[in-house]
Amino acid sequence: MSYLVLKNLNKAYEGTIAVNDFNLQVEKGEFISLLGPSGCGKTTTLRMIAGFETPDNGHIQLDGEDITSASPNQRGMGMVFQSYALFPNMTAWNNVAFGLRVSKQPSTVVNKRVNELLDLVGLADDGHKYAAEMSGGQQQRVALARALAIEPRVLLLDEPLSALDAVVRVSLRHEIRRIQTALGITTIYVTHDQEEALSISDRVVVMRQAVIEQIGTPEEIYVQPQTHFVATFVGTINQFPGILKDSKLGLVACHSGDLNLFVPPITDGKVQDGGALTIMVRPEEIRVNKIGTDHDLSNSLDANLKTITLLGPVTRLTLEYHGQSIFADIRTVDRHRFDLNKPVQLSFSREACSIMPKVELSNGDN
Amino acid sequence: MATMKKKGPLPGLFIGGFLFYMLLPIVATYAFSIATRWDRTILPEGLTLDWYKVAFMDRWFLIVFKNSLVLSFSTVIASILIIVPTAYWVHLRVPRARPILDLISTLPFAIPGVVLSLGLIRLYAQPPLMLARTPAMLVAAYVIFTMPFMYRPVVNSLKAVNIKVLTEAAQSLGSSWLRTLRQVILPNIMPGIISGGLLVFATIFGEFTIATFLVGARYKTFPMQLVYYTRRDGRIASAYSVISFTIAWVSSLIILWVAAWGAKRTSGSGHSIKDKDLQINIAGDQK
Repeated sequence: MSYLVLKNLNKAYEGTIAVNDFNLQVEKGEFISLLGPSGCGKTTTLRMIAGFETPDNGHIQLDGEDITSASPNQRGMGMVFQSYALFPNMTAWNNVAFGLRVSKQPSTVVNKRVNELLDLVGLADDGHKYAAEMSGGQQQRVALARALAIEPRVLLLDEPLSALDAVVRVSLRHEIRRIQTALGITTIYVTHDQEEALSISDRVVVMRQAVIEQIGTPEEIYVQPQTHFVATFVGTINQFPGILKDSKLGLVACHSGDLNLFVPPITDGKVQDGGALTIMVRPEEIRVNKIGTDHDLSNSLDANLKTITLLGPVTRLTLEYHGQSIFADIRTVDRHRFDLNKPVQLSFSREACSIMPKVELSNGDN
Repeated sequence: MATMKKKGPLPGLFIGGFLFYMLLPIVATYAFSIATRWDRTILPEGLTLDWYKVAFMDRWFLIVFKNSLVLSFSTVIASILIIVPTAYWVHLRVPRARPILDLISTLPFAIPGVVLSLGLIRLYAQPPLMLARTPAMLVAAYVIFTMPFMYRPVVNSLKAVNIKVLTEAAQSLGSSWLRTLRQVILPNIMPGIISGGLLVFATIFGEFTIATFLVGARYKTFPMQLVYYTRRDGRIASAYSVISFTIAWVSSLIILWVAAWGAKRTSGSGHSIKDKDLQINIAGDQK
């Protein structure tokens, strides 16, 4: 049996369903992210694990023991909050020592452990500082050390990096992952930032409107999204609605038959011949070339280049094909090869296409 | 400041007039308390500290001073014990009850002391309480009477720090309710408690109406003695007033200082060594 088991968790507030039939099994030492837009129920789920909210029904089991109704201070879960929540009346050192003193550890143990942890988060020399004297990033490191000090059975992080600036956010998220791996600590991480979730998790739970949309490794979530919402929420994706003409060939007619695209053969019967589906292609899977020069890939179409947006190492091209916008990412070093408002050839392989049955062309879910 | 100067002498006149109006009675009381005689001339005829001597030598002085101190301290402690945990709990767990508590806490302002006293006498004189005309009852009445002074600063402090998250952080570290309240919440709302305590203290130390109605001469307080002297010798009464003022002023200074310290602490930077020492002392949690 898994280390942490969440079984049929439900929670509603005054008629509004916050979490609906949530099921998840977490292995010991695993790093799980709960990812979704605000109001999707991810924080409520985390708070139920922490014991700050009581589920309306369902069970939470930790290491074989039912903790559904245990009070928060009996659960042994370290929590890191978005607002850091350091005790303003105590130094960083005393903040980290708090939980150890609560559990009545001898002072030699407290001293040793607090120094170790401050060292671990890179704040060995800042133990004397108060929260008000530290930057947000430093405060969150102290909060992490404080949560780790009690050797928690599960580490819970509630959007810990949302209040920090971009550079600190990236460096601290790598640090969290490094420490988590080093200590082998089971971790549940709540975030609305898909890049964050993909970059540090063993598995990601994508949620929307109180319901789990998909559970999978970052790669599964990104490459094989199971729902339309996951495909559009995680990263950018191009959508081509069409009708399946031949499931064995993987032939799909889009744009009222003006555009034939090939997808991998559909053998699981997810869509029948003649059924509606949407083809989804990531911008980085699309190759951009001069008209009539690329014949290697199964799918090809000509589109007008509308805008060029520099994103850093990649540059995003926005193209227009019969009124539909298509995004394609190219290497930034190649950006001068193309001229605005000129037609270019787009091509992508059939393996780059994932299909969703019967979904309208819209981003209305976001 | 620069804009005030451009507007001419009018603002200065208003401020000057206001200060004159506020300070004149106080200055006059001071002057009267050290005047040999001041009823036949424009300025006092001479200066003396005799009236303070009379005030301090009076066999009642120590008794009424002690009685008023006991009443003030008891009220402060009782109101801290009743109001702080209530405000914390309501703030954390029953936020919907907050407006009700806000309303109740302002009621004492709306009820005149005399009405409150008479109502309380009727209530407390009946069995099983039978507390009428005892200092304990007076303290009970004072807690109600001064509730706004304690409740407001405490609630403001609770709002200034994120009580909910701090409580949850402490709980997740295994801390019990009592420990969380003692080691995390109280130190962080201490500026509010100290301000409230001093306001209550200063108010009760100078309170006359309710004390006279509820216990009267059975438990003589400092203001009662002051009123007694106003009927006999205004100069001794003035000396009493000055002593009373001084206590109120010292309290106010401490409030201002505590408020400045609290503001500094929540605003972030700018800690002096002194601040830190103070924080550690109050937290009682140094390494």
